[in-house]
Amino acid sequence: MVGRSSSSNPSDVLRQIKGFVLLLIQDISRNRAPSVALDRFRIYCSDPSGNCICNYDLPIGKEIISLEKESHAYRLDVLLRVLQIIQQLLQEKRHASKRDIYYMHPSVFLEQAVVDRAINDICILLKCSRHHLNVVPVGKGLVMGWLRFVEAGRKSCCIRSPDTAYPVPVNSEDIKDIASVAKYVLVVEKETVFQRLANDQFCERNHCIVITGRGYPDVPTRRFLRHLVEQLHLPVYCLVDSDPYGFDILTTYRFGSMQMAYDAMLMHVPELRWLGVFPSDFEKYNLPDHCLLHLTSEDKKKVEAMLSRCYLHKEAPKWRLELEIMLQKGVKFEIEALSVNSLSFLSDWYIPSKIQNGYYI
Amino acid sequence: MRSLTRANDAKAFIRVWKVMEMCFRVLHHGKLVTQRELFYKLLSDSPEFFTSQCQVNRTVQDVVALLRCTRRSLGIMASSRGAIIGRLLLQEPGEEIIDCSVLGQAGHVITGDLNLLSKLVFRSDARFIIIVEKDAIFQRLAEDGLFNQIPCILITAKGYPDIATRFILHRLNQNFPDLPVLALVDWNPAGLAILCTYKFGSTTMGLESYRYACNVKWLGLRGDDLQLVPQHSLVQLKPRDLQIAKSLMSSKLLQEPYAAELTMMVEMGHKVEIEALYCHGFDFLGKYIAGKIVQSDYI
Repeated sequence: MVGRSSSSNPSDVLRQIKGFVLLLIQDISRNRAPSVALDRFRIYCSDPSGNCICNYDLPIGKEIISLEKESHAYRLDVLLRVLQIIQQLLQEKRHASKRDIYYMHPSVFLEQAVVDRAINDICILLKCSRHHLNVVPVGKGLVMGWLRFVEAGRKSCCIRSPDTAYPVPVNSEDIKDIASVAKYVLVVEKETVFQRLANDQFCERNHCIVITGRGYPDVPTRRFLRHLVEQLHLPVYCLVDSDPYGFDILTTYRFGSMQMAYDAMLMHVPELRWLGVFPSDFEKYNLPDHCLLHLTSEDKKKVEAMLSRCYLHKEAPKWRLELEIMLQKGVKFEIEALSVNSLSFLSDWYIPSKIQNGYYI
Repeated sequence: MRSLTRANDAKAFIRVWKVMEMCFRVLHHGKLVTQRELFYKLLSDSPEFFTSQCQVNRTVQDVVALLRCTRRSLGIMASSRGAIIGRLLLQEPGEEIIDCSVLGQAGHVITGDLNLLSKLVFRSDARFIIIVEKDAIFQRLAEDGLFNQIPCILITAKGYPDIATRFILHRLNQNFPDLPVLALVDWNPAGLAILCTYKFGSTTMGLESYRYACNVKWLGLRGDDLQLVPQHSLVQLKPRDLQIAKSLMSSKLLQEPYAAELTMMVEMGHKVEIEALYCHGFDFLGKYIAGKIVQSDYI
């Protein structure tokens, strides 16, 4: 990882924090206005030419926060307070969520977004990831299937009952001893689809692993997926609704999110393939017209914005084509439309045949 | 009362039959459906009668009331949002024992399968069961190992409780009748509504939800805890909060001293989240809970 610190353990981070604060104090003692230089990262833009410099790794430009500017004084105040809390977390070997941190000084922080930005700035400054600061969210993801792993000394034998949901571990770093005889990993957008597959004993019959982030995936789910792919070298397929949000969730798993652009390297999964549901599947599988909904004007704006993302041009032109079809036809539909005629259509036919015949992009 | 004399009622009447027919078909194939799948099937089958998920949900409730059965018996899968952790050993007959005191901070995911939950065997040396409204608080207490300091079982449904979470709580209550069931919720109308749902059941869930009512006591946050939180953590009540407060007030089930607490919230016009206690440090929450329990400070 170019441009990243290789040290990530708590004592290193604590040392870095001390070093940073010392520099600030030195500035003040020499009557210089302390300033902080932050790298800026960007994983996509709206330049369709393919010549933009968006990437996962290197920063694009710098931003300077300095006490010389009055507007920056607040931002620096927040940054230092959050840094102090993080130092405490690391020293006490405790974890906290971004929300918990907000509640430590709600009168200063005023709103969650302020804390979020400070945490991102600190990650960029110390060249580490959020979890290295012991800032972890509440876990939201679920996993099931032919998988076994050990997390912080605790064994998770999903394989013993392959259709039972287990929570996705919050810290992928603590995972050891990961073993699997699965043939592939399937990522599903919605919990209801996860339930359907569990009920159909999909994992047991198909020797696979199924994960869901229950909507937009949180960091632990994305890190866990990446970890699985790195350790197990399995193909990864993604199943989302054929609508703007489904597509956005798909791109979040594959490319990462703009909010966490500095960490995209650790969390994006370039091996991810879009299994369905494609806008073009509607005719192919003869889905009933009643299941089609019209794209609202917000939907259309969202689709247009996504169409302009440079990474689609550069890395997933076929995805872009399907998205264009969605906009052209002006309609959207959910995965459940596939189950209308037969509840087991999804598990027994759609997913296995698509994978077997290579109908994914 | 549904009759054929008014046009709207006629449609509602037919919807009840359509849902029964669809569920019959599903059960006949030995399958289960999610509520969303049921909506799509009904939409496809009888588009003139079904236009929204809410409508389907309401009709399902009508069927449940009519047949005096559970949703599960109609073939409708329940999702579960619940998690449990603490001094509890769970065992499905013939399967391995799950020790809930050695799990990761997310706890053990409570399955939506009520049949499975009804077969679970429990063993516990806990002295309390604590319902936690929010997942974040649940995970914080799990990480802090609260259940080892105060022998207890922590349970959360991450908001308004689903049937599965209430069912397992009900079973725990029946298995261990001497264990007080305490609730830790935000000080706002929604928190109180969640507490009442565990305690009495809920009208939106229909008749079956009253079956799993439990004698839950309110541990916190309460009005007299306000002195512990800084002024800035008080947030103004939004219109939605006032709506919830209004419907709670009008409920016959709400008695003193809960009604007094609700009145205080509305008069102050503000609410407080449990996280407000973090201003005293992350370990304050555990001490707060322990203190209240020791003094039997719950209503």
